[in-house]
Formats: sequence, structure tokens, C-alpha cells
Amino acid sequence: MKNYDLITPEGTKDYLFGECIVIRDIENTLVRLFKSHGYSEMITPGLEFYDVFNLNSRYFPQENLYKLTDSKGRLLVMRPDTTMPIARVVATRLRDAMLPLKLFYNQTVYRTEPALKGRSDEIVQTGIELIGSQLKMADLEVISTAVESLKSFGMEFSLEIGHIGIFKELVDRLEVSDKTKEKIRMLIETKNFPALNDLLDSLGNSGVTNALKSLPALFGGEEVFEKAEEIMPDENIKRLLDELREIYCDAAEICGNDGEITVDLGLVNKTDYYTGIIIKGYLQGHGEEVISGGRYDKLISEFGYDIPAVGFAVNINAVAKVIEKNGILPVMPKTDAVVYAEEGFEVTALKSAQELREQGLVVEIALFDDLETVRSYAKEKKIPKVVVINSDDREEEE
Amino acid sequence: MNRPIRIALTKGRLEKDTVGLFEKLGFDCTAIHEKGRKLILPVPDANLEVVLAKANDVITYVEHGVCDMGVVGKDTIMEMKGKFFELVDLGFGRCKFALATKKGYDFYSGYGVKTIATKYPNVARSFFEKKGMDTEIIKIEGSVELAPLLELADGIVDIVETGTTLKENGLEVIEDVAPISARLIVNTVSLKLRRTEIDRLITLIEENL
Repeated sequence: MKNYDLITPEGTKDYLFGECIVIRDIENTLVRLFKSHGYSEMITPGLEFYDVFNLNSRYFPQENLYKLTDSKGRLLVMRPDTTMPIARVVATRLRDAMLPLKLFYNQTVYRTEPALKGRSDEIVQTGIELIGSQLKMADLEVISTAVESLKSFGMEFSLEIGHIGIFKELVDRLEVSDKTKEKIRMLIETKNFPALNDLLDSLGNSGVTNALKSLPALFGGEEVFEKAEEIMPDENIKRLLDELREIYCDAAEICGNDGEITVDLGLVNKTDYYTGIIIKGYLQGHGEEVISGGRYDKLISEFGYDIPAVGFAVNINAVAKVIEKNGILPVMPKTDAVVYAEEGFEVTALKSAQELREQGLVVEIALFDDLETVRSYAKEKKIPKVVVINSDDREEEE
Repeated sequence: MNRPIRIALTKGRLEKDTVGLFEKLGFDCTAIHEKGRKLILPVPDANLEVVLAKANDVITYVEHGVCDMGVVGKDTIMEMKGKFFELVDLGFGRCKFALATKKGYDFYSGYGVKTIATKYPNVARSFFEKKGMDTEIIKIEGSVELAPLLELADGIVDIVETGTTLKENGLEVIEDVAPISARLIVNTVSLKLRRTEIDRLITLIEENL
């Protein structure tokens, strides 16, 4: 029984013609941008051992991974993310390389999404990783590359910055179990004020709980820092806040009037992956972020090489969707001429087609028996020129 | 860029309660009262557009960002999960999830794996998972109360408002699972990109709850 030979698996699709052009255009623009910043490309395998993605600081729930086994019965997964494979390579083959390493990638990741939700299991991510620098300048370089990426899409955008350190410092001051900490994080992430307030009220009333309560409300423009300043309980956290404010102001200056830079102190992503700044990029008309990244200074050390890193990834399919939704049509390549060979002149025809291509034209070989059909084919496909080869000369028709 | 803020309301009681709240805020809700069969309705003076949808669809539309906000019960949120901000407890639509059995039945006795009938398999599963209890969960679409009466299940996890239906069928609540009320949810990107408008609306709502 062949029930599934005419369709693709759920969460995947075929991309045709214009769709491919839109996707490749975005990829090419970003790749050019990353190269112009001195980043080098890395390609990692589509299949990796499950263990690469099952770390303490970054863990993918196993139900969200495509799994298979190798010939020895070991568990493999379809790559759900590229940062961890890059961390693996950096900690092994690139261990002696000069730092900082500036790497970029442009490849597909696979995750199982809930069925019938209109989400893709297969996404192209194009991104950068700047490895081996802890400087503020590294954060700024990555943020400015993210801003340039967003600008290149030619649409209204917003780049949001946060700092996971503020939340971590605060929550570590509470004497509660890790489970409760995770619950607090989750409630802040979803900005679930009612439940967050109830939970923190039950832990007493202190500067720390009050600061945690207001964290999810602290998002917007520069005014956020003034408000945050007042409620942060001590100097350590204020120092983090100052760091973030400097980065925010610099980013706003880099961005200019082309987009908006905002801050959200309640950006507390799942897992402990990030250790410093967090960035998210939004485009008007898309319900989820199209850029996501941040600083992850402890991830590579899980592969045995303790160096800091910062980076981001662009969800190419999401950007393409917004571009298509906004009706920005891609420039479709046009065929300039079709070459028709009369019997016995096939080789001459192929050669002259090649000559025309060398002049920069897009040339097709006619695959019909008679000239009449070739003419109507050219008319239908709006090909301006039909070239007939019936001697060693060529005869052109407009 | 002055597209109205789009808010999805769960059709039925939550819709009525939300419209009541809007009127308290002084919004002109005539279009909603005279909706006929229309599903997208303007609230022009508030630059709002109301979308009427089934509870699960409210979450789907908000998650995808085609609606900026939504009003939906905590019951649906617990069952569906999803990625959005859950900003305000609106306070209306109050009821609870509870575990009920036939009156006098000792649910926690014995070694056998218990069978639970429910319309909310995810809620039921995570409730028993937290207890470290293996259960067999059967999804029922209609009146869940039938399942223990017909001896298909040992108990049910369902929404309980007054408990009258349970009582009339010889069932009783043996444990509360979670309280439920209507929530205002917001798409994660909309909250950021249309911050001022959404902020203003939420402040207004919170002041009038």
C-alpha cells in the first residue's frame, strides 16, 4: 500500500519558483553581510548524536526531536539547532585556533511541532557566532549585525534587548528550590502577573520579591531603566543594569531611525543557555520573533573548552513569509531567447546557444519538433526571441 | 500603521462578560449587539476589532499574531498551552477543574491503574503525573458524567461550576484540580510592537475590574 507517495510529511513543504527566490535572496543578503563582517561559514552534519543536544545548560525535550539510530544502535537526531554543533566543533577541532572565532552558518534545523498548528518542522536558520570574546564590543558587534540584518529586509522592525543576569541574580537571592525558581522564570516569561504575584507573595515581602514582581512589566524604551533603577535592591544588579543601559543606548544610536530598539527585562528564555544579553528581532506582521540570540558563556565549556560566546540566528522562513504577505514580489528570471534546431543541426544549435549565454543572455533549447509550436511556446512564456538554426548560420525572429 | 487592535473573544458567556466590561469602559459595542452572523466586528471609538471564535481558536489566532489579544478561560489555556503572554485575570467566568467519582467510591484505594474520563486529557494527565500516579485517560466528547455511571471510568476530571449535574447523577467532587477564570492573553510580538495602545487598554481594564 502506498498511501503517502503523493504528499510531504506534516510540518514540511515543497518550495517552488518565486518562493525559492524570496528565500535565497534573504539568505544571500545575510551571507554577504556576515562575510563582510569577517565571518567564515561552517557546515555541520544534519545528523548528530543525541548527546550533543542533551546538555545541562541547553536541553531539547526529547519529544521535540526527530530521532533515529545508526548502524550500531546509537541514538541520532536530526539537528534541532546549530549553536550546539558549532560549540562541539570549537571545543574539538578548533581548540587551538586563534580567538576570537567568527563563524556563520546557513542550514536547516528540525523540530517536531504540535500537529495541525500551522508550524514548520523544518526551518532554515542563518546566523552568526562570535566566540572567544567577553568584551562589550563583542555584544555590540553582534547587535549591530542583527540591526543590519533586520534593516536588509526593508520592513518596519524592532530589536529587543534584555539581560538574563538580572533575573538570575535576583532569583538566586531567594531561598527556594530550583523547581520554584523555574516556576518563577516561567511566570515572568509569560508575563503572568496574577500567578507571579501570588507565588512571590507566598515567599514574603522583600526588595527581591518586589523587583521580581515588576520584572515582566519592565519593557519599552529608555524610561524602563529609570524605573528599574529605583526597584533593584543592590549595587551588583544595578551594575548589570548600567551595562545593559550602555548597550541599549549604543544600539539605539547604531539603529538610527530605521527601526526601533527596545528593552525587556522580563526576557527570560527557557533553559540556562544564555548568561548575558539576550536579543530578539520582530517584524511587523509576524506573530513570533524572526531573530533570536544572546550571550552564552558557559555552553562551550560543557564540551570541555571554557570560552565565552555570543550570537544570533535568523528564521529565514518566517522572514520570507512576511515578505510574501506584504506583497513584495521577487524578480523572476526571464528567458531571453529560445534556440530551435532543424534536423541535423543539433550540435550547431547547442553551440550557438552557448555563445549567446556567454553574452549574458538566458537561453533555452527548444524541445519541440516543429517551429510553429516553438513560436507559440515562446509567446506563452513571453520569450522575446526565437533563434532558428537550419544551416551554419542562425536566423533570428523577434 | 493604524490597523485596529484585534481582540478575539470566546463566544458565549465570556463574550458577554467582556462586552459588559467594554461597555463599562465606555466603548460603543452596538456592532457586537447587532452582529447577526458577522464574525469580525468593529468597536470604532476604541480602535478595536472584535473577533468571535471558539475557545481553542482564540489561542490559535493569538499565537499566530493574527489577533493581538484574546479573552479565553484558564481551562482552555491549561489544556492547549502555547506561546503568549497571560497578562490579566479578568475575574469573571469563575469555576474549577475537579476530580469527581461516584459518591462514596474510594478512588485512591487498591493497586489497580485507575481510568479517568475527561474532555481535558492534558489537564488530567499532568494532574496525575504530579502525583506520580499512572492512570489510563479516555477522552470523552460529551457529558463526561456518563463514563463512571456506565463503569467505563473510575473518575472524571471536568469543569465544575455549581456541582448540580454531579449531584443529580450521584457523583461527588473528591479533589479540586485547579481554579479557573477568564484571562486576557496577548501575542508576544504585538505587546512589543503596539505597546502604547495595548498598555493603555490593559490599564483601563484593570482599573475597571
